[in-house]
Order: sequence, then structure tokens, then C-alpha cells
Amino acid sequence: MTNPSDPSGKARREFLRRLGGVAVACTGAAACSVAPQSGGPVAGPDPSPVKDYDWTKHHWAFGVDATKCIGCLRCVEACKTENDVPGDAHHFNTWIERYVYLEGETKARIDSHHDPVNIAASGSEKEFRFANRYQDAKVEKAFFVPKLCNQCTHPACVQVCPTGATYKSKDGVVLIDDKYCIGCQYCVQACPYGARYFNPTKGVTQKCYWCYHRITKGLRPACVEACPVGARIFGDRNDKQSPISLFIRNNRVQVLRPESGNEPNVFYVGIDKEVS
Amino acid sequence: MPRHISRLLLLFVGAGILALVARWYFTADTFYQFGHFRGKAVGEIAAKEPAYQTARYCEDCHTERHAQWSANNHKSVNCEVCHGAAKGHPENGKLPIPADTRKLCTLCHERMAERPRPQPQIDPAQHSPGQQCIVCHNPHAPKLAGVVAKVAGDAAAGAKTHAARCADCHGAAGVSPNDSWPNLAGQHGAYLVGILAAYKSGAQTDAMMSPIAQGLSDAEIQNLATYYAGLRCEAKPRKSRLGDPAAGKALAKNCAACHGDAGIGGNPAWPNIAGQAPEYLVNSLKAFRAGLRKDPMMAGVVRGLSDTDIANLAAFYSAQNCAPAAKVKETP
Repeated sequence: MTNPSDPSGKARREFLRRLGGVAVACTGAAACSVAPQSGGPVAGPDPSPVKDYDWTKHHWAFGVDATKCIGCLRCVEACKTENDVPGDAHHFNTWIERYVYLEGETKARIDSHHDPVNIAASGSEKEFRFANRYQDAKVEKAFFVPKLCNQCTHPACVQVCPTGATYKSKDGVVLIDDKYCIGCQYCVQACPYGARYFNPTKGVTQKCYWCYHRITKGLRPACVEACPVGARIFGDRNDKQSPISLFIRNNRVQVLRPESGNEPNVFYVGIDKEVS
Repeated sequence: MPRHISRLLLLFVGAGILALVARWYFTADTFYQFGHFRGKAVGEIAAKEPAYQTARYCEDCHTERHAQWSANNHKSVNCEVCHGAAKGHPENGKLPIPADTRKLCTLCHERMAERPRPQPQIDPAQHSPGQQCIVCHNPHAPKLAGVVAKVAGDAAAGAKTHAARCADCHGAAGVSPNDSWPNLAGQHGAYLVGILAAYKSGAQTDAMMSPIAQGLSDAEIQNLATYYAGLRCEAKPRKSRLGDPAAGKALAKNCAACHGDAGIGGNPAWPNIAGQAPEYLVNSLKAFRAGLRKDPMMAGVVRGLSDTDIANLAAFYSAQNCAPAAKVKETP
């Protein structure tokens, strides 16, 4: 990755070094299609690609308090409307999982809004609700867990993208460039959280991007705006008094699949060992 | 150097130059500007217009509703959660008012073991089955306490007060002889308690009613309300020349949740309006529209009504029977 502020001499050395690598690689003709990683146009004076917003000044993060989630799915609804997510139940940027331990069972029963029972309860694939399917069962423990893209610090999805269509922004969000995405779906497979999906009508991969168009305008993501119980927390970690900074400071938080090495940036409170 | 070697070298150099030119030509201007991606794409993503506008956006026009909502339990449920994204509103028309509140409210309030305990939850099979939630609960101030006033007075004492103070305008049998004043016979007691208390406190003002209500004690108000609630309404359905009842019927669908399908509502906190004089109904609606009568629910409902709409609604409700054979059972 080139840093535009580097002295040009270093960039040239880097360029020559990589050129040598390319020359070797070009003996296999196919490798030539992979663009080398330097020598592009020099950056302009503008330090931020978004108007009236400095992306070097923010460090966004997300919190989920699963002890508050009531499973109303208004977040899923809001997200669909806000982000032009396909209208059916099987494509979504964010979702809620329901974990139910029945008496005498050791494993949790897990379902989400796209479970056939829940689709039947809502009446259509365009509406979302959790069916009250355990009302007559003996429930030992049960809770809801909202899920979304973790905007990892070391995102596996970005590593595998062959075209540079998905990348990490400086303020901490993994974005997708619709125009450069070729729909190969490597990233869908690479994501350990199942946060990505392929949109067959557009031919591109989509996922949660913390409503980047909202947060760069000073608004909260649509799901946070819609959550009636404050189970979703969002803010800037550079601001020590932001909701997310307070949430992380005042709670014992954890992340999903820490062993994956992705360093997720969605922090959870109140989830169980089976949630991953 | 042998010729075939120099040719080969030339070929390599040519291919290299061609590759560089192709790369220069095919790489987007802003690729590598910030890293291994198209720099311009960030701005393109950020340029999208938000659909959800937040409650702040609604506040300027829906001031009263916003004030009521933000002071009550549902303040954590933003406007757009129930009414949908406000993008394009008001330019492109109204936002939906949820029709099936039973379905909507139970999304959050249906009792489930999975839900955290502090969340208020009901069993839909036990809690007023079949009834729309907003018949009793104001969605913007959902707690019932204080909404439905208690009515426990002495009807006989109320009858005396009625004869002495009210009968001249509201009729001996609670059916007003004058088109400008409402019939009171059969009116919900809780509504009467509420409105008389409002006249008394000054929360609601009327040149005629304010001084009369100020002269009533709380016990007298209770007695009057009990008396009128128990009185059978003898007012005849009327034909109005002011408007078109058929057009009014179509509009009245928006009122039915609180005032019933034909002007007799299930919640005693809100008035029955069936069989009232069309002139009275027109005056009342216009007073709500002008802000002379203050009620956060009504203010929002009447805002979009034209004079013709109001006349049509009045024509519809005045033509309804105020004492239907099967009287709607009052919920306590």
C-alpha cells in the first residue's frame, strides 16, 4: 500500500522492487492480470474522500447489548429500507439470532427471521417477526443476539478480494465498491461470520457497512436509530464520552470468534458460549 | 549479440511497455489514492441519501405529537419505526398510519420467554383478543393510567345538576335542541369527566362551558358523567346538506380505531360522535384544526382535512344511530 505522504524516493524504490517481482511473475502470463500495488496517480491535497468529513478523525465501533434485545426485528426492517437490500427474507445486512435452551437439552435451538416458521408467522417474506414457537415449551434459558458485519481490523474478506473492490476505510469500516466488484464471492466464503451475501440482481456482494452514508453525515446507522430498547450502540472510539466508548468502558465486552484473528469491532455484552 | 537474442529482448521490452500502457489506461484515476482500492468509491458510498430522517426531522411540523411522544414511554421508539422512513415526506405524500396495530404492537409486546423481563409483555390470547391496541392505548402515550378517567358518581344527583345547569343548552333528555351544541345522552362517562375537568382547569376553554365547569365540584362532574353515560340517546340520525356521507364514510376509516366504525367507540376515554349535529361536528373539527381545541391525537388527524372533508365526515357521523340496538360494551 502506498502512502502518498512518503518521500518520492521510497516510493520509487518500492516500485522498482515490485517491478522486478512482476517481471518474474510475468513468465506465467495469467499472473500479469494482477495489478502491482504501486505507482498509481499521486494523491491530491484532499486528505478525505468524503466531502465535509475527515475520515482520519474517527474510529467507529459498534456495541450490542444482547440482554436488552427483544427480537422485534425493527432493525432488520430499517436496514432493508435504508440500504436497498433485496426484499426477500434471505438477503440481509443485519439479522437477529434466537437462542433457546429447552429443559433437558444441552444444545441451543437457534433460528433467525428467515426460518420458515418465522416467515409463516410474519405472513410474508417482506415482513419480519419471530414466531412464538416456544410458548408451550419449557424454556430454561433464551435470548436474542443481533448480528451484523464486524468491520474487522484485519478483515479476511479484504485480503481475498482480487480486484480491490472491498477495502478498509481509514475510519474503520469495510466498504464495497460496487463498480469494481466482479461477484466472484471469495469474500462471502472468507468471512467467518457469514456477514456477506451475493446480490444476484446487481451481481455484486453486499453487507453491512454501518450505514456509511449516514455516519459520515453525523447520523447513527438506521438499525441503531430503529432499535426501541437501546440494544444497539454506535459511536466514535476517539470520543471518550461517545456511547460506544462508555459501553466498552463500563461493561465486560467480548467479540465473536476472537481466535480468527480478524479483530472484530462489534462488541457484545450478554451472549452465551454458543454464540459465535 | 546474436540476432535472435536481440529480437527476443526487443519483444520483451515491447511487451513490457504494452503492459504498462494498458495498466495506465485501465487503472481508475483514484485507485491507489488511499490504498488498493478506488478512492472515489468512498465518496460515492457516502453520497447516498439517508432514508431514515430521525425524530428531529418530524418535530418541526408535528410539534404537539412530538412533545407528547417524547414525554412518554414510547420515547425510545422513533417515529419512523412505526410510520416508515420519512425520506420524501412530505413532498411525496403522507407516511402510513399503521392499520393493524394488533400485529404491529405485538412485535415488541407479545409475551415470549426469550424477551428480557423488563419489557412490558402481554398474552394476545388473553389481553382484549380481537381488539385493536389503539382502541385503549394511545400509541404516543401508551400507558393507560390517567388516560381513562374513573367514573363513579351518583346518577340521581347528576340528574338534578343536569336539570339546573345543563338542560337549557343540552336538552332535557341530553339531546341538544340547538345544532351548535353536542348531545350528551349516552356519551362515555370517562370522556365527560375528562372534558369537564379540562374546562374547569382551563386546559380547554369555551366561552359558554368554561364558567359553567368552573362552578362544578369534582363530585358534581362525576355525578353528571354517570348520569349522561346511563342515559339512552334518543337523537335521530340526521341528513346533512353540508356534505356527502358516502365520501365521509371513506374518510371515517381513519377515525374508526378510536371512534368506532359508526361513531360509537370502544374506549370510554374518547367521545361517541354518532348522531351529533353536523354543525357541531364541523365546528369541533375546525376548532381542532385551528388549534382552538387542543388534543395531540386530533391535531394530527385533522391537519390534513379540507373543509369539504370535514363537511363529509360530519355528514357521515350525524347520519349514524347514536343508540345502536346492541350497545358497545364499555371496557373498564
